[in-house]
Amino acid sequence: MAKRITYLGLALAAALSLPAVAQDDDTIYWLDNYQEALRQSKKTGKPIFLEYRCEP
Amino acid sequence: MDNVDIGLFEHDRHNTLYFYLLNSDEQIYMRYGGRDSASPETYLNLASLEVALAKGLELHERYKKGDLAQTPRPAPDFPKNYPMLVERTFARGQCVECHLIGDFQNMHREKDNTLDKLKDLYRSPDIKVLGIHLDVPKGLVVKETKGAAAEAGIQPGDAIKAVNGKTVYTFADLQHQYDKLDRRTSTEVRFTVERGHAPPRELAVKLPARWWYYDARYRQSSVDPRLYFESRPLSEDEKRKHGLAVDGFASEVTRVDSFATMMKSHQLQEGDIVFAVDSVERNPYAHTADVYMKLKQTPGDVVKLSLLRNGQRLESSLTTYRMSFRK
Repeated sequence: MAKRITYLGLALAAALSLPAVAQDDDTIYWLDNYQEALRQSKKTGKPIFLEYRCEP
Repeated sequence: MDNVDIGLFEHDRHNTLYFYLLNSDEQIYMRYGGRDSASPETYLNLASLEVALAKGLELHERYKKGDLAQTPRPAPDFPKNYPMLVERTFARGQCVECHLIGDFQNMHREKDNTLDKLKDLYRSPDIKVLGIHLDVPKGLVVKETKGAAAEAGIQPGDAIKAVNGKTVYTFADLQHQYDKLDRRTSTEVRFTVERGHAPPRELAVKLPARWWYYDARYRQSSVDPRLYFESRPLSEDEKRKHGLAVDGFASEVTRVDSFATMMKSHQLQEGDIVFAVDSVERNPYAHTADVYMKLKQTPGDVVKLSLLRNGQRLESSLTTYRMSFRK
């Protein structure tokens, strides 16, 4: 499933971190810039997985 | 974070984790998260997340084919609209913690006299109060029903598909819709459920008294006055026995926090019966004296308590305090 989602994930931890992008090796790289996530989603046609997360 | 439309991503900020699945047009397919007062993890589950994401990808395919209706976008809202949030986070180079957004929003509402504690303090009411217990790994499949939900005809195995006519795919979707109910005027909530291969049916669940209430102390909210005691509501028989208003909020102190002495907040003792606050004995939304004060008082207020101690009527004062949490 990871490869199907241009994982634009916003993680709002102590802040808002963003999307993760699934690469061929299935590693997920989280983005922390919302506008960049939107751009990547537009470019790849993949949906955004946005995360708000509290970090201890 | 300062350029993110938090109006679009409006949710109860006291969730430890909260996910959205959306497209590049910022159309949200679904939310994932939600919690109850017992734990931030009650409704978080990998199996249910996978179910949700599979549905989200299905919706995304429909979107790409132009087969998905656009949903109305909520009014925009940005962190800059909350000067206290900006001043105490961005301006100091500090992180914007989720709960701080909600807390500063409430502090601004308090300042502007628009704070509605029934809604703003008691966000995300617990559906278990209705008697709905979900089979969490399966998403919105009902595991057990009791009380109002059972009386309405919801059965174990039913799959919830909509709340008050709004499609829901996840518990977070459900809780988000349920949270929209008016605490003062709503009398029922309608659930659309699927049962086996039968057509979906809509069942109206009658809302019990104080359906919105739960122990909200985990929120560490700045607008929630700290009282440093807990109480239990007296039964009608107990109120009659003590000569108190049967429809009043008289309640027995069950626990006194050590902070009460440290902060010189009050001198209540376990077993005291508080039957009036500033001479008020009744309130349509409060079933205990502490809930009444939480709803009516602003942190910092000093109130007069009327109480029974060992059968004697006494008056005492209580000073409420404001929680200042990680600011």
